[in-house]
Amino acid sequence: MAITRRKFLESCGVAVVGAAGMPSALGAAIRGGNNGAALAGPRGGGEGGTPDPVFRPLTDAALETAHSQGAGYADIRIARYRDQSAFLRTQAEPGGSKIQHVPEVSDRESFGFGVRVLVNGTWGFAAGNKVERDEVARITREAVNVAKTNSALMRQPVELAPVSAAVDLYRTPFAKDPFGVSLAEKVDFLRAINDEVMKVPKVFMAMAYISCRFEHKWFASTEGSYIEQYLQVVDPGYGATAVDTAQRKTRDRGFQIGAVTGGWEYLEAAKMLESARRVGEECVERLGAPPVKPGKKDLVLLPSHLCLTIHESLGHSTELDRALGYEANFAGTSFLTPDKLGKFRVGSDLVNVVGDRILPQGLSTCGYDDDGVKTLRFDIIKNGIFVDYQTIRDQAHLIGEKASHACCYADSYASIPFQRIPNVWLKPGEKPVSLDDLIAGVEEGVLIDGTGSWSIDQQRYNFQFGGDAFWEIKAGKKGQMIDRVAYQSRTPDFWQACDAIADQRFWQNFGLTGDGKGQPEQTNSMSHGSVPARFRQINVLLTE
Amino acid sequence: MLNRDESRHLVDRVFQMSKSPEMSVNLRWQQECNTRFANNQITTAGFTSDLQLDISVTLGHKRGSTSTTETSDDGLGRAVRHAEELAALTPEDPEYVVPLGPQNYPEILAFDEATAAARCEQLLPAVRSSIEAATREKLNASGFFDVTTVAAAIANKRGLFGYTQRTWADYSVTARTEDGTGSGWADSQSPRLGEVDGESVSSTAVRKALESQKPRRLEPGKYTVILEPAALDEMLMYMAWGMDARAAEEGRSFLSKRGGGTLLGEKVFGENVTLRSDPFDPRVPGFPWSGELPAQKTTWVEHGVVKTMRRDRYWAEKTHTQPVPFPSNIIMEGGSSTLEELIASTPRGLLITHFWYIRFLQPDTVQLTGLTRDGLFLIENGKIQYPVNNFRFNQSVVEMLKVVDGMTAPMPVNNNRLPAIRVRDFNMSSLSDAI
Repeated sequence: MAITRRKFLESCGVAVVGAAGMPSALGAAIRGGNNGAALAGPRGGGEGGTPDPVFRPLTDAALETAHSQGAGYADIRIARYRDQSAFLRTQAEPGGSKIQHVPEVSDRESFGFGVRVLVNGTWGFAAGNKVERDEVARITREAVNVAKTNSALMRQPVELAPVSAAVDLYRTPFAKDPFGVSLAEKVDFLRAINDEVMKVPKVFMAMAYISCRFEHKWFASTEGSYIEQYLQVVDPGYGATAVDTAQRKTRDRGFQIGAVTGGWEYLEAAKMLESARRVGEECVERLGAPPVKPGKKDLVLLPSHLCLTIHESLGHSTELDRALGYEANFAGTSFLTPDKLGKFRVGSDLVNVVGDRILPQGLSTCGYDDDGVKTLRFDIIKNGIFVDYQTIRDQAHLIGEKASHACCYADSYASIPFQRIPNVWLKPGEKPVSLDDLIAGVEEGVLIDGTGSWSIDQQRYNFQFGGDAFWEIKAGKKGQMIDRVAYQSRTPDFWQACDAIADQRFWQNFGLTGDGKGQPEQTNSMSHGSVPARFRQINVLLTE
Repeated sequence: MLNRDESRHLVDRVFQMSKSPEMSVNLRWQQECNTRFANNQITTAGFTSDLQLDISVTLGHKRGSTSTTETSDDGLGRAVRHAEELAALTPEDPEYVVPLGPQNYPEILAFDEATAAARCEQLLPAVRSSIEAATREKLNASGFFDVTTVAAAIANKRGLFGYTQRTWADYSVTARTEDGTGSGWADSQSPRLGEVDGESVSSTAVRKALESQKPRRLEPGKYTVILEPAALDEMLMYMAWGMDARAAEEGRSFLSKRGGGTLLGEKVFGENVTLRSDPFDPRVPGFPWSGELPAQKTTWVEHGVVKTMRRDRYWAEKTHTQPVPFPSNIIMEGGSSTLEELIASTPRGLLITHFWYIRFLQPDTVQLTGLTRDGLFLIENGKIQYPVNNFRFNQSVVEMLKVVDGMTAPMPVNNNRLPAIRVRDFNMSSLSDAI
């Protein structure tokens, strides 16, 4: 599949300077998470309330128009998005030695609506940005036209799993409004971090960002639902770059933190500034670190790294739309076909994985999905066995299920809602096991922190991952930093090679953004919490 | 569609809302119509109409940027006031460059009336024919037909103004065998819907699905490979878009020289590698501007020698040279062979349809990783012998372009024009079970 310019910039730490979209570009390289929320506990507050009726006349216009045009089902989302970003790059003035800070700040909003209809068992969708009654009715007729036209090729009519009507309000719980903190204060915070990173000799450049987003949406459907949700995300991060001109070598090191749903309090508790010197020092250390000796080795992987391995190998393979072939022309299918449900061993007995849209601070956490289904937590892998898929309303019946798992999401008012990965996380071990215990059991291995290069095939078997920092493990002890490490494995082989995982004390949640799927392509964000885990005899490669 | 006069009017309304003498606006109106199908039936489809205004206000060397989709006085006014507030709060940008005055942006032919008028009714015949072609062969077809119309404007208070209209149509199909052992893919794109060849896309996807089924096992290793244009496109952009002068001069690029300096003017690739951009090519038209700079023809690599790197306006001023805009497209000069001739002259090698999930493995050397997909075939004695399992590769693009020993003429692919190429010693590093 061809890369888009945006994807390229995101994947390329080298090319971001001087390009637009720097925050996301840096974010992909140094994105991670922070000590997460409690695992247990109910929906994280914010539940219940009366939705603002302000858009009732518009949602009624859509639903009535759709009904009068013959739609058996219709829904409308009216949504406002705000994305405020402060980014600061710090380096010596080119050709000089004076440290200078290059800021990039923006605060972007979009507002519009999307209407989805089912006519003759076929979906139709249309969207617009003029949120006015006549335009809503016109766009609804466009959606009906799409459905009617395409129903000419219908073979199996769409069936929707039942849903209860809801009139409700959900807000992301938070203590301190991140939009209430001035941009000047945010930039000052970033400057303090970068100044600290730059105090480390041989650091070439520091980059730091804080992005705050909200999605304020109203959903109404012909099932009788009218739901208002205000979902808020804070996404901080920073990293250092060191350059060895003689060797033509560049290395990055990022502070391991990810995005969460929540408020400014997350950032205040994250100890970002306190860690800045260490991040700079580890960057320089990585630049001079010796190369790994390739071969079969034991791996101890930290939650900052495992988040992406979980995402790619277990998150994507258990999406029902992939398994059924809906993504065959783009994101691919899955090796976990429905005949394996309840039988196939994906991992060792220690591997227990859940799908979860009620996890406190989870990036995919909300009150209702974009089908209007109340969110929940469900098992995906139990004691190593694959037990369930991620589903939405129009899929559940295809595997004989009676209810959706509430995994429906659209990344914009102008995007068609479809099945996306919820928060998918690895449960901690039940026996008391520490990170040191995991390391103590390794004769020769590698400890990996953070994410680096990543790639997996279109059925989610063969994957290969790098990382953000690597240490050798020798005779049960963490040793020196090493570099140029990647490992390659096959999803079931890898998870079956998991022979020990740490307990609840070590559980950390990491939010990832930029998950791509669908045509037209949409992005998605979710959190993947886990504990440090050990994997025996994995193929470790030396990169160029 | 937002026409030139309407765009200018909208921009002027924005400019009048602020006393700030330094403002710029980027306007993008977009209409998109698409149909998606899988398992031989349409799954989702949509029609969307959207507009976004990006507004920047500059106070001295301080800049604040906002966006809005609301064109009411209230909506625009809020976005402008917000940009002013941001500019006041933001620290000075030490890399600030003074905005350009009026520019002569080139006229680029990239708009087609019939394409702009298309709705899902016009997409249906190709989709129907693909599903029928797949069904006849007991295959399972999935695909996506997308038609986009864009009107865009750029303006600032120094009198700079540009406007362009563009259309783009893209049709792709994946056909899979019922037993899941074969998969074929093809794609066709053009600014003109009438030039998208649905029949050819269907027949290629169907043929490759049938020919690729029940692949035989082949071990990882170094192979001579023929990359079809789509496969080359997927790898090449990681390098072509990364040819940045600042990164190279700061020692952070594959175009940096060990010990300092850059490889500008040096022979980095094989003699037969020439890479250009031509925004005026009607098959793969570029955008008239990049940043505020007018699009221009550029030669990046000529006969293996690095001739130019992109250079933003700040870095150009700092280094007392001319700015070079981001590539509008990449055109690789090809050779005189046909794909059939390349295959016929290959004693042993692999034919690669395209790739999946390419990422940097080591940016220092543009070493990439990724996987083959939708048809990988073993060639022996100048003939395609049989399909083989997919591979993961770990391979530097730079090294690959040193050992190109055969090329077809360039063909439009994903808004670039690239040949199929044959290269030696391509590193297939592990086996993939995926089909």
